[in-house]
Amino acid sequence: MLALQMALESPLVEVDAVEAMEFPELSERFQVRGVPQTTINQGAGTVVGAMPEEDLLIEIEQALAG
Amino acid sequence: MSEKLLNDSILQQVQSVFHKLQEPVGVLFFGTERGCEYCADTRQLLEEVVALSDKLSLEIYDLEQDAEIARRYRVDKAPAIVINGWDGEKPVDYGMRFYGIPAGHEFSALIQALLLVSEGDSGLQPETRQFLHELNQPVHLQVFSTPT
Repeated sequence: MLALQMALESPLVEVDAVEAMEFPELSERFQVRGVPQTTINQGAGTVVGAMPEEDLLIEIEQALAG
Repeated sequence: MSEKLLNDSILQQVQSVFHKLQEPVGVLFFGTERGCEYCADTRQLLEEVVALSDKLSLEIYDLEQDAEIARRYRVDKAPAIVINGWDGEKPVDYGMRFYGIPAGHEFSALIQALLLVSEGDSGLQPETRQFLHELNQPVHLQVFSTPT
């Protein structure tokens, strides 16, 4: 999981790997429809499906800029 | 004694990648007595995994009884798993959390997390590493998945 690699690399990156069905309220809050879904900073960005490293980076950059 | 959750084939697979473990890794489990369907199984699964290598250790906590420790790790639901490295005697929190029973994809991710922390190399591309090193604000990634 790319997110875990990022957590190892930076002390500012925190990763929660969430089993969606066990936490329906959380999944509902972030409108999880497909998995894996990566929610960036409480919904500042959302990525559905696996994606290449450089693409996830762009999504994070955009979420931080927004 | 209850039945094993990990079958022989999975045990062998995990054991074969655990040969790569280098530095010790601390696994923290947080459960709760308050209506937790998967806490017992999650704890048992971790016990079975940790038993496969002397580089791995497991600490068992309860969300209510060990509220101070849970707060320190910002854990607010169960079952929860925290993966720590060690700096000498001091635990190092890499910000890796698992919520819910790590089955299927999550199980692979758990094994990956143990190896990452133990080997200490993210394996990311140079550009990604540079971007992450230049971060000046927190990035919280919540990765939702299902067992199958």
